[in-house]
Amino acid sequence: MTRRTKALAGFAVAAIVINLVPALAEALDTPGFYITFMFTAFFWISQAVSWNILTGYSGYFSFGQGAWFGVGVYTTGVLAAKEGWPFLVALPIAGALAAAFGLGLGLVVFRLRKLSGEIFALTTLAVAFVLASVARLYSFIDGGRGIFMTGTPLPEFLGDFRTAMFRMTFVVAFLTVLAAYLLYESRVGWGLFAIRDDEQVAHGLGVPTFRYKMVALGTNAFFSGLMGGVWALQIGFVTVDDVFNIRVPLFVILMSVLGGMKHWMGPVVGAVIIYTLTDRLNSAGLEDVNQIIIGGLLIFLVLAVREGIYLRMRMRWILTLTVFGTAMAVWTFADLATSLIWDFAYASLITLLAVLLPTRQSVARVLRRGGPATPVEASAAERAST
Amino acid sequence: MSLLAGTAIVKHFGGIKALDGVEITIEEGAIVGLVGPNGSGKSTLINVLSGFYPADAGQAAFDGVDLLELGPHQIAAEGLARTFQIPRPFGTMTVLENVALSYMFGQRRHSLADARSAAGEWLGFTGLGEVADSPIDQLTLHQLKFLELARALATEPRLLLLDEVLAGLNPTEVDESIQMIKRIHARGVTLVIVEHLVRVVTALSTTLTVLDQGLVIAEGEPDAVIRQPEVVRAYLGSKWANA
Repeated sequence: MTRRTKALAGFAVAAIVINLVPALAEALDTPGFYITFMFTAFFWISQAVSWNILTGYSGYFSFGQGAWFGVGVYTTGVLAAKEGWPFLVALPIAGALAAAFGLGLGLVVFRLRKLSGEIFALTTLAVAFVLASVARLYSFIDGGRGIFMTGTPLPEFLGDFRTAMFRMTFVVAFLTVLAAYLLYESRVGWGLFAIRDDEQVAHGLGVPTFRYKMVALGTNAFFSGLMGGVWALQIGFVTVDDVFNIRVPLFVILMSVLGGMKHWMGPVVGAVIIYTLTDRLNSAGLEDVNQIIIGGLLIFLVLAVREGIYLRMRMRWILTLTVFGTAMAVWTFADLATSLIWDFAYASLITLLAVLLPTRQSVARVLRRGGPATPVEASAAERAST
Repeated sequence: MSLLAGTAIVKHFGGIKALDGVEITIEEGAIVGLVGPNGSGKSTLINVLSGFYPADAGQAAFDGVDLLELGPHQIAAEGLARTFQIPRPFGTMTVLENVALSYMFGQRRHSLADARSAAGEWLGFTGLGEVADSPIDQLTLHQLKFLELARALATEPRLLLLDEVLAGLNPTEVDESIQMIKRIHARGVTLVIVEHLVRVVTALSTTLTVLDQGLVIAEGEPDAVIRQPEVVRAYLGSKWANA
């Protein structure tokens, strides 16, 4: 398939999902939490994938996800809820403002050679703290009183609240993944991977490192902020402590590391797995030990599958599809669990265990982009000249 | 008309003057051997010319453009490339992708599709065709050094700075590398070779430039330069200079 047909197919699928899934849910009278489960997953996919565009692609480790997310939340919070702007007008501004903050930070830190490595990570963390203080201090933003999002009017065509959330989070997540994919396949992506491997060498070979790092940081902040803008609605009552905490930055790191940071799909897989597991543990009433279980699983998986789950799945894709398909079918038709989400959670867990089986394929081969290479012998002219 | 004319290039590290006003001329089509005792500033000069270290003073006119004003990627676009003494390949890419990347950027922009076939040609030229799809960690030092060459050549340079390409190789590999350097030169690339093996450089280069304590102390025809008293003194001490 050419890139154009791929893109058209992608948009067609997206349009179908936006319209068909809510209609189907209504027709089948499925429980509302199915939709909630899905749009929360979309939220995490978008956050993890956007984080990975900066950190996975360029290698610059960022704790700034909470800052970009927070700027997004507070932008729609202030503009739509407090000032009464139409929500869909405020939403793009959330993304743009987050991107502006990201680029502002990049302008400073990427210009200073010494601000790399740990110092870069700490700087991004500091940005979130500063923004939290600013939001707390100024009453036109928050002023310590919080913002009620409930009752923010949404356009009719988005449907009821749940459907609207589903549609908006899906569109943002779709665009985030699309951006991650296009960057991955593009010249900018190649440049970023070179920067990740050895920035000095990349620069010397002609990669405009400053510009590319700005693109990565700007894209990261934009999509994180855009999704933050949507997510303000789901939070309902926005407070500084709920928004600018370590939860979002920490989870996106876990999701990306687990899924694999070297491929655009890695964080998608990581986000779905980690969100599904935390959600099911919570729903089983295990909130207290939730983090211990997830933490233990993560340590185990990261040590066992260093390249990330996604690449391992690609190396063993037949096994992965067979195990997941079989498990899903068995659980669904034998009615072993109480809901489809439980079926999915069990099937995912079993698939995870299956892909742990070792493989002899190399990561580089799976990562290879743009199809197999054709080794070329020295041309006749060159052989003659030797 | 010289390809590169460096005047009064100065580079300090704290109180140490690594380059103390270097004057260097590189003629188009030359093979310049850059030699000097340890710490004389050879590697620093390479790093300054390729933009890796910002210079403290001086100019380096490369076809009318002052390289010292530019960043590394702009210098690459002007047509100057370098290799590293200790190979620094991109570890998550295959051999072919390493070369494709430098062709995509390099001196001119090229598309991804073009880059793959061009990279294959450069791998063929450097004899790495068989390992094109290998991950980096399966290469020997000799192959890694040739990958450095392939990657630098793929940027389509007019001037190529080779930082100790022979270091760490066995005699057979040294011979192969010398043949490779000659082939690169035959393609019309001007070369600067930094090397410890004075015998090899003298045989290979058309001009010999000797650095000592951050200054060019001799420059000219290799066999003549190597006998100059200053050069002997720099290498062996003043005891031998008049012998």
